[in-house]
Amino acid sequence: MINKKQAIEVLNAGLATGADYAEIYVEDVFSTGVALDNGKVESASKNRSYGAGVRLLKGYQSVYGYTSIVTKESLLKIAQDLANSFSGERVLTIEKLKTKKAKNIHTHEIPLSTVPFEDKINYLKRADKVLSEYDPRIIRRQAAFSTSKKDIHIFSSKGYEYIDSKERGRVAVMALAFEDGKIETGFNGPGASAGFEWFLNEINIEEIAKNTAKDAITMLGAKECPSGIMPVVIGNGFGGVIFHEACGHSLEGTSVSKKLSVFSDSLGKQIASPIVTAIDDGTIPNGWGSNNIDDEGNPTEKTVLIKDGVCTSFLLDDFTGRRIGMKGNGACRRESYKYEPTSRMSNTYIAPGNSTPEEIIASTKLGLYAASLGGGSVNPATGEFNFAANVAYIIRDGKICEPVRGATLIGSGKDILFNIDMVGNDLKRAQGVCGSASGGVPVDVGQPTIRVSQIAVGGNGGELK
Amino acid sequence: MRLNEKKFYDLASQRGIEAASITINKAHSLSCGVFHGEVNNVTISDDFSVIAKGVYKEKFGTVRVEAIDKDTPEFLVNSIIETASVIEKEEKATIFKGSEKYHKKNLYKPEVLSTDLSDKVKILLEIEAKLKAYDPRISEVASVEYQETDTQSSLSNSYGLKLSQKSALYGFVAEIVATQGDENKTGFKVFFSDDINAFDIDKFVEDVAKDGLSKLGSTQCKSKKYPVVLNAKSASSLLSALLSNIDAEQVQKHSSKFEGKLHQQVASKKITLIENPLEPNLNFRYYDDEGVATRKKTIINKGVLETYIYTLETAAKDGVEPTGNGYGSGHASASLVNAKIKAGKRSEEQLFEKIKLGVYITDLEGLHAGLNSQSGNFSLQSQGFMIRDGKIAEPLSLITVAGNLFDLFMDVKEVSNTYAANSHSNTKSPALLIKKLSITGK
Repeated sequence: MINKKQAIEVLNAGLATGADYAEIYVEDVFSTGVALDNGKVESASKNRSYGAGVRLLKGYQSVYGYTSIVTKESLLKIAQDLANSFSGERVLTIEKLKTKKAKNIHTHEIPLSTVPFEDKINYLKRADKVLSEYDPRIIRRQAAFSTSKKDIHIFSSKGYEYIDSKERGRVAVMALAFEDGKIETGFNGPGASAGFEWFLNEINIEEIAKNTAKDAITMLGAKECPSGIMPVVIGNGFGGVIFHEACGHSLEGTSVSKKLSVFSDSLGKQIASPIVTAIDDGTIPNGWGSNNIDDEGNPTEKTVLIKDGVCTSFLLDDFTGRRIGMKGNGACRRESYKYEPTSRMSNTYIAPGNSTPEEIIASTKLGLYAASLGGGSVNPATGEFNFAANVAYIIRDGKICEPVRGATLIGSGKDILFNIDMVGNDLKRAQGVCGSASGGVPVDVGQPTIRVSQIAVGGNGGELK
Repeated sequence: MRLNEKKFYDLASQRGIEAASITINKAHSLSCGVFHGEVNNVTISDDFSVIAKGVYKEKFGTVRVEAIDKDTPEFLVNSIIETASVIEKEEKATIFKGSEKYHKKNLYKPEVLSTDLSDKVKILLEIEAKLKAYDPRISEVASVEYQETDTQSSLSNSYGLKLSQKSALYGFVAEIVATQGDENKTGFKVFFSDDINAFDIDKFVEDVAKDGLSKLGSTQCKSKKYPVVLNAKSASSLLSALLSNIDAEQVQKHSSKFEGKLHQQVASKKITLIENPLEPNLNFRYYDDEGVATRKKTIINKGVLETYIYTLETAAKDGVEPTGNGYGSGHASASLVNAKIKAGKRSEEQLFEKIKLGVYITDLEGLHAGLNSQSGNFSLQSQGFMIRDGKIAEPLSLITVAGNLFDLFMDVKEVSNTYAANSHSNTKSPALLIKKLSITGK
């Protein structure tokens, strides 16, 4: 670790050739993992990662370097090497750094890093017991618990040393069902920026295991999903991946600032149906995608991205904001010191509307109910996105009927948000890891049950009849 | 600071660790990108990690650290004991003593590494300018990036085994936006090599530009089942998913559809798959992460599954020799290195000749979501072209291709004679002609 005096020396070395911003990000991470396979502990691991990244900015240029050797000498060398990328006169000198400790917005009554493997194993065994008793066709059961504790120091030429500490944990439950040569799987992965008490009190691990097993068994009996353009009702919680892919990524500074996104010039414009309001909120207490401060020291914010269908904000960090004359709004994130940070989503969701989920189903004559979604992807430049439905059913005459498997929904982000014609009142969030420019970061996706009046569904089951 | 390995092994032995190993990975990388005629980003990185494994009371413990101080040997030993103590597997864990023979080759070509980036910046600016000038429909050059990596890895164990490998490679990546009216399409290309003379700027520029431009004017075809040609890149992605099922652990745990399929037909007779980690290319590996010597082997012969792939543990369970496929930083799992479907005789164009009305798939998106490699079901957003009367016709986008992986590889009618160039993927397939797949368009 380096002290403030050493940090000032490194920052000033980085600023020698005209950089207008310099930052040292030091991270000490302690993580653990333990996994059960068919009820037995098959692997356990400990991992300590430690390193620092130096970032220099000059106008629209950024240079970044990192190392796991966190000494003044090694960081000075990186700062000097990086500074050599610029040729100019010094415009900034740092005299002193004020320490700013981030205010913790999460509760950690039983910090996960203090929980012994045995307690996590006993917790996972509760899930395994449910899986093992659910149905003999469940022939493989997996459950895993991973935790990570990150201590962060950011020395910034803004004149501060920001200090933060964050701790997250996630459980993964998987079930594999087999019958007549067919294999189907179920998965759930709840997580939070919270202590062990969240896992014990806020979620019901038995219920989660039961739902995981149920999904796998349901899909065993599913026919192939029909294909074509149809109305689709998308379930709450992880269903929010539709907004994440169709719109969220295309509102990130990385693509909007270079005018590489279909939404680059959309501020103040209608980009969605008027019943759609969408929010990115990095300040939710105990939220999986929340942070006290972002990775350049700015406090996280609750940002309304779309209000009544009108684009009201982008997700920005100070650097990507420069090209469009805007400031960062707490969205600067990175997986670890090995990634240059950039604007990313945190907990992103569509706000609740007025319909009940029952009304939405009942008003759909023939279509698809995508109850549980997998991940997806998007190309922000074309707006073309896709996401997969893990559990889906056909809706006939306002009722949920037979299950179908192997459905992927595709579309163009510019159009699809206009096709949302019903928004439910049952908002729920779910956890995932989003992979993009600055690595894999924890995010929540979320939404109430919604209906898309028409979207292309790709399946192997022929026309929907 | 260096890890005192002797101190670690001595301490491990004193504390009752029966056998132990240490893997040290180091990588030095440089990358840079240009945007609008100037350097946009530069990254200099030093990666370092130590993975220690050990057998304690017959169970396996593992720990990974990225920094070394005087207390590290103690921390590694304690963590091995702590993690091994909770393992409930019945099988006895082992650390591999060593293979009789290793086929080490020195393929390290440090001349591909730069002393400074200025000459690379010049090349990047030239690529950007050439892409901009290529066609007025190229509305933006979204990124042009260079990267190079120098990696070193070593493995030692308490039985005295010492293995090491070095490699150096460089690559270019570029992406453009092509625009026509309201329509935007992107063109993209990745190039990797360990041969300093392999990069041809003009060819690279042409490939990136054409990838984007050829997609303009795209439409959706009528939804139905079509004969399909998968280009080499798309076929390789699907092959990689299929092959996750030959890991013996998945078979032993009844999670693979290849269970009970040894020496049976699992793919079309046109498919012969050979793994050769010893081929001198970017993927070269002469030992796996457990220290087992790798070797060339036939995995699928004319559609018949010849072998599963094994780690030390799964091999012991099946009573066979480990196959040199144990990879991963903690608990090893089996994967393939440099596995290729044997090329056929006909070119990709010749595969089209057999099709009156069909679809040529060039890009598959969202593979992590729309494809379940265990069930084999897939439905994927795709791009490509119609094939009409044996020739490439109009471009297609926002279509999906759906089917089942296991059926798809059974339905391969023909294999082309070329692989995707300058890729460092570990599973490579030539283009494949598939009997029929469901395409959803309009």
